[in-house]
Amino acid sequence: MLGSVFLKTIRDRWVGWTIAVVAIWLFVWLGLVAYSGLDLSLLDTFPEAYRTLIGLRPGMDAGGLSISAVYGTYGSITFAAMALAMGAASIAGEEHQGTLSLLLANPKSRSHVFISKVLALVLFSAVATLVTWAISASTASMLDIALGDLDLGALSTHMFASTIFYGLLAVAVGAATGRRGAAVGASTGVLVVGFLGAGLLPLIDGGDEWAKLFPWYYFNGSEPLYNGVDWGHVGLLLGASAILAIVGLLGFLRRDLRGQSVGITMVDRLRQNPMTRKLADRLAGSSRVSSIWLKTASEHQIALVSACSYMFFVQLILGPFYTALPRSAMDMLAQLPEGMDVLFAFFGGGDMSTPEGFFQIETFGMMAPIMVMLVTIAVGANAVAGEEAKRTMGLLLANPIKRSRIIVEKAWTMVFYASIVGVVAFAGTVLGSALAELEMSTWNIAATCILLTLLGIVGGALALAIGSGTGRKGAAVWGATGVMVGLHVLNSIGAISDSMSGVSKLSPFYYYLGGDPLNSGLDWGNVLVLVAIAIVLIGVSFPLFQRRDVREKD
Amino acid sequence: MSECAICTKGLTKHYGKVEALNDLDLDIQKGEVFGFLGPNGAGKTTTIRTMMDEIRATCGTATILGMDSHTDALKLRRSIGYLPGDLALYPKLTGNDTITYYANLRGGVDTSYVKVLAERLGADLTKKVGDLSSGNRQKVGLIQAFMSKPDIIIMDEPSSGLDPLVQRELQKMMREIADEGRTVFLSSHTLSEVQRVADRVGIIRHGRLIALETVQALRAKAVRQVEIELDAPVDVGVFESVEGVTEVRAQNHHVVMTFGGDMGALLRAVEGRYNIVDISTQSADLEEIFLTYYQDETAGA
Repeated sequence: MLGSVFLKTIRDRWVGWTIAVVAIWLFVWLGLVAYSGLDLSLLDTFPEAYRTLIGLRPGMDAGGLSISAVYGTYGSITFAAMALAMGAASIAGEEHQGTLSLLLANPKSRSHVFISKVLALVLFSAVATLVTWAISASTASMLDIALGDLDLGALSTHMFASTIFYGLLAVAVGAATGRRGAAVGASTGVLVVGFLGAGLLPLIDGGDEWAKLFPWYYFNGSEPLYNGVDWGHVGLLLGASAILAIVGLLGFLRRDLRGQSVGITMVDRLRQNPMTRKLADRLAGSSRVSSIWLKTASEHQIALVSACSYMFFVQLILGPFYTALPRSAMDMLAQLPEGMDVLFAFFGGGDMSTPEGFFQIETFGMMAPIMVMLVTIAVGANAVAGEEAKRTMGLLLANPIKRSRIIVEKAWTMVFYASIVGVVAFAGTVLGSALAELEMSTWNIAATCILLTLLGIVGGALALAIGSGTGRKGAAVWGATGVMVGLHVLNSIGAISDSMSGVSKLSPFYYYLGGDPLNSGLDWGNVLVLVAIAIVLIGVSFPLFQRRDVREKD
Repeated sequence: MSECAICTKGLTKHYGKVEALNDLDLDIQKGEVFGFLGPNGAGKTTTIRTMMDEIRATCGTATILGMDSHTDALKLRRSIGYLPGDLALYPKLTGNDTITYYANLRGGVDTSYVKVLAERLGADLTKKVGDLSSGNRQKVGLIQAFMSKPDIIIMDEPSSGLDPLVQRELQKMMREIADEGRTVFLSSHTLSEVQRVADRVGIIRHGRLIALETVQALRAKAVRQVEIELDAPVDVGVFESVEGVTEVRAQNHHVVMTFGGDMGALLRAVEGRYNIVDISTQSADLEEIFLTYYQDETAGA
């Protein structure tokens, strides 16, 4: 499998893509099972305006509901994220690791390396989409759920084009700049802003046109599941991808390779200038190395700042956004029949006609936990396993400190950071609510953000425990992410299906929003459960790390 | 030179079926520089990582300054300076930040001493570690190993990446440590370095200790070429009777032999019979000894 750059790239990446495909298939399968037990005919009785508003179709059945829910959100985001990570790793990633110079020392041109990496990316995107399509269709037929007029192939075609676009965006930025961070940051930004923009803007009068500014619109804006392939949209995505590839290649061919340099930040410049050195040292220098927990905190500032800015910005605009929704739609939302909540279960559930429900569905249900866990899982997984992967653990442990102190201090950073995300989410929500005069209860918002913080700590503690036990960072990140996603699905299923309502209680997500904190305030029982889970997970990390050998290589 | 600084008894480490370290007995005295020699993959790093409690021995013990390397690990680390092989530091920190971090974890060190060390090694501590060449990064690692003035310094391939001048300075620093009664454990495959600085040498191969000698004893054992110019024609028999002499070739006043023994005995044999006009001996270096030991091993296996 090492015959060429192309094959090596395939070998490096197939495991991740396989996991992604299996995860999406699990979602489709669970969705089909969960929704097929419900009588969805009542959806047909909804007013026309409302149905178009949230993309409901006459005669919509379990198949359409679960496939559009999974493909439209989890699935397409997962594939875009996989492609994005692969794209950023392709040129800039090898440069960051310092392996690119050796690779290019072989008689292979830069174009050859670039094209091999792009081809591998295209191949993975295509195969993953095809396999997902095939297993989704066969799962539906195994469960005797007719997909009827649903054009799964068209949706898959759109998903493929969208996946390629985000992948090549990351390739292009990475190849042109040599900075992996810039590649990941820029393309993730386009993805997230596009997802929100294309999803939320059409809800406003005239917002449809604005939504077309975002690449995400061309993935699902034409509703390919019902209307077939819109070749104009697919062409636009693929054309943009091709342009990105050319721009990336040209940039890569013209520039100097970056060494393993770590780059110069603003603070570094200030520290080099004798006039500002003292101040800059105080800002960034000695304080951040004064203890393990502060050092850990300084390593994860970017994740924290990203998550906090996202939470603050989104929470802030959601309030005014809610009031901007058409009145007629609001009236209809207020008269929704019982049972509607199934539609929103995967997003945390909630009553769309109230600001509380709107906030719950739009952010607290899914995006907020993702944001806080982005930070906590990163800190948790890097705490022990990350130091081992970087081979700095040996020297760290050569100091007169106990292994347990490393866990305590790093867990403290995680708790601290989760709390900051919680406080920022609280501030954003309160401000957003105040701006729009929604009169949401400040205390209930605080209660929700406390629970959000605790949920984040549980996710981070899980990553910490896995990392402490295995010393493998990959296992910690993906293990914790996978388990948390699974538990989220478990909670959603319990919420949808009466017969399975018991399973929700196995999921920490149940103790997060299960008590409806935005409406009913803080349930101390739920707080206690989340705290207990976190304590147990951090607690088992001690003996797990204490007992084993420090890993030398990742 | 009596108290035991590092003492291992039957130290063994298995990874599954792979025997990385087998029944290692070492006895390193205070005030000595101990050279730990062996080819790549011999078990040097495994030994050190066990001493540092990074990994745990399958059986056997390592006792450092009278304390167990595992149960007293925390207390011990106050007295140990450590430089891991294939050093990894935090690339985004400057040298100064790196030093400060480890100094804080040690509860503070004498900053003026850090400056002295940096000056001696010619280290630039203002740059980010990630922007340094491997040799300059190694200097940061060396400073942190020496800075707390520990009783024991354990170093795994400390000279890697250093230029010859800095290597020499490092060797001087190691000698100074030993002269102060402190101890240096030096793992290396650079023989000339060990030869220049170490008091005793342990040679390890395939996880087993195959030799443990003073540098002098090793040298005495070394087989080397000796040429002697005498004031009279040579009687080959005089030399053949001396222990350790082989392959004597004499030509008039000149004799060449292969010799592996005590030089004193050889000189005493000559004394009284001849006057020595000139004597030259090819320097016995560890290179040859090393190869001899390994050849013996392979021949015996």
